[in-house]
Amino acid sequence: MSSFVIEAAGLSRSFGSTRALAGVDLSVRTGESLAIMGASGSGKTTLLHCLAGITRPDAGTVGFVSGAGRVEVTGLGERERSRLRREAFGFVFQQGLLIPELTAVENVALALMLNGMPRARAEEHGRGWLAALGLAGMEDRRIGQLSGGQAQRVAIARAQVTGASVVFADEPTGALDSATSADVMRALLDSTTGQGRTLILVTHDAEVAGRCSRIVDMRDGRIVGERVSA
Amino acid sequence: MIARVAWLLARPGTAGAAASALPVTAFGIVTALLLTVIGGAQAFWTWTDDEGVLYQALAVIALVLLVVPLVSLGGAAARLSARRRDDRLATLRLLGATPAAVSALAVIESAVLAAVGAVAGVVVYLAVVPLLGLIEFRGEPLSASGVLLPWPVLVAVPFGIAALAALSAVLGLRQVVISPLGVRTRQEAPRLHWVRVVIGVGVVALAFGLMAVLRVAPTTMVILGMLAVAFGASLAVLNLIGPWVIRLVARGQASRAKTPARLLAARTVLESPKGAWRQVGGVAMTSFMAVFAGTGVAVLGVMGAEGDAESQLLVTDIRTGILITVVGSFLMVACSVGVNQAAGILDRGELYRSLDMLGMPVATMDAARRRAVMSPLRITAIGSAVTAAIVMLPLTGITLIVAPESLLVIAGVLAAGIGIVWLGLLATRPVLERAASA
Ligand SMILES: Nc1ncnc2c1ncn2[C@@H]1O[C@H](COP(=O)(O)OP(=O)(O)O)[C@@H](O)[C@H]1O
Ligand SMILES: [Mg+2]
Repeated sequence: MSSFVIEAAGLSRSFGSTRALAGVDLSVRTGESLAIMGASGSGKTTLLHCLAGITRPDAGTVGFVSGAGRVEVTGLGERERSRLRREAFGFVFQQGLLIPELTAVENVALALMLNGMPRARAEEHGRGWLAALGLAGMEDRRIGQLSGGQAQRVAIARAQVTGASVVFADEPTGALDSATSADVMRALLDSTTGQGRTLILVTHDAEVAGRCSRIVDMRDGRIVGERVSA
Repeated sequence: MIARVAWLLARPGTAGAAASALPVTAFGIVTALLLTVIGGAQAFWTWTDDEGVLYQALAVIALVLLVVPLVSLGGAAARLSARRRDDRLATLRLLGATPAAVSALAVIESAVLAAVGAVAGVVVYLAVVPLLGLIEFRGEPLSASGVLLPWPVLVAVPFGIAALAALSAVLGLRQVVISPLGVRTRQEAPRLHWVRVVIGVGVVALAFGLMAVLRVAPTTMVILGMLAVAFGASLAVLNLIGPWVIRLVARGQASRAKTPARLLAARTVLESPKGAWRQVGGVAMTSFMAVFAGTGVAVLGVMGAEGDAESQLLVTDIRTGILITVVGSFLMVACSVGVNQAAGILDRGELYRSLDMLGMPVATMDAARRRAVMSPLRITAIGSAVTAAIVMLPLTGITLIVAPESLLVIAGVLAAGIGIVWLGLLATRPVLERAASA
């Protein structure tokens, strides 16, 4: 009965003479975890950015389905896509890319404050998520005082705190050693698919991809294979 | 090898053109202002009579006032070009350049950018010379030939600026070796000690005392000397206390902030109160001067009305000098804010880009950045005006400070100073927009 949350058809995107995406069709089910694999330069990041409404494809469509109905992401203007990303999506990047001046809890709370939640309540929610991700007691640390794995968990909390229905992660474990990487993946999966949400993840790492429910392989801007994990 | 890689990087590219245009422009402005200041001062040194010596003493005060913001602008330009280099180290390594080649290239690049900017600055200066020559002192225009610097100076300055840029690149490289990503991951926000405040209050009290005995000073030169000491000491104090006060206020703002922009702005200031001060410190100088100028103009008005033709001429000339110094330092402050902001944005390009992805509106990022400058600016401008008023009090008495003419000058200069910083912020918004959507 699982329905689709993201439906993309015929996506293509070029940068100058480089064809980053050359016709991609991809649908993602609610509650699944999808790994996008492929060599460097195969178009994974570009695909992720098109699905999340960060980049507009030259051709093709992306639809986002939620309780409120279906939104044509590719038809939205800059401001509306920005708002959609803020309210419905969460993001985790390779480097964490947290704001270094803010404390851990402020980084998380900021996502809620951007949606208009008062600060005190936003920080309370933020503390809750940090605790759930094993960071109790580190709320008031600055980002520079956290290890790579801890920072990445703050980023996961930030992606999740708004109740995002889809979390996009671009090589979230790319800068971590394998033990930390396994920890972070567990946290990421628990907080997304574990809560009935959807995770779309780009990775080089077969072990990381293996933890996801479905894997698609990319080459030269196309999807060339698809596997379902155990 | 180096030549080939240099060419690859120098090709007109997407972000490349903007990234090199900025340091070139900054070095150009620094050079043009530097030459203008030296050229103007040169004209004064052709006079040898007693009055001439007085003019030279006043010119030295103006030079000192202008050199401080000029040095900080030069530093900002060097930092900007160093940052551009940090961004590209990774690219270079990917292209297979050896560390030695990377270092050599970084130094060459900084020097070349500075030299190109400096040559452009010389051209701008030459274009301004006829206008400079029109400025009247002692009842006569300075004349173009009077303010035109000899050609060896015009040749030496670009070389000197290129050499300084190369030197700062060499010094900067050591840091890059230590932290290749150049990312600020400081462990703790820096602390500033309250002892600064105690020292500061003491020095202001001393300056106050000095001004109080000024009336009984024997000669004009002694008066000028004591004025310079009181002035310099008070400015030094502002430098000492400014960052501390800025941090104190920002701490309150951080805990009270209700919107993302306010929170971000306060935390940005807290991250580096000294950096915040560096950006607006030039305005402290000008608002300090505004009070001196304001009361000075009022004093001179009284003197001029009573005095003979010669002292009336002196009064006019001092007014001209004050005006030139204020305008000059404003130009440098505006450039310095622009350059610092551009450098800051380029430095955090990836972070801004990620915030855009998260759906933070560019307007919010811009508001945070503006607030992080404007809030310390307000504190600085008002704080230094008050300090200056205290130091001037024994000399002028309260009536002159609150005379309509002085208040008008003070308010006008403060408003212009704040306005010009605001313009500098506005001018760098496109840089932010480009960085966020790169
Ligand atoms: N903003 C951009 N400008 C120019 N070329 C780009 C840009 N983004 C991606 N590309 C190019 O598109 C191709 C796919 O890039 P990307 O999607 O980042 O690949 P991946 O994430 O799989 O490494 C690459 O050849 C890359 O150089
Ligand atoms: Mg990628």
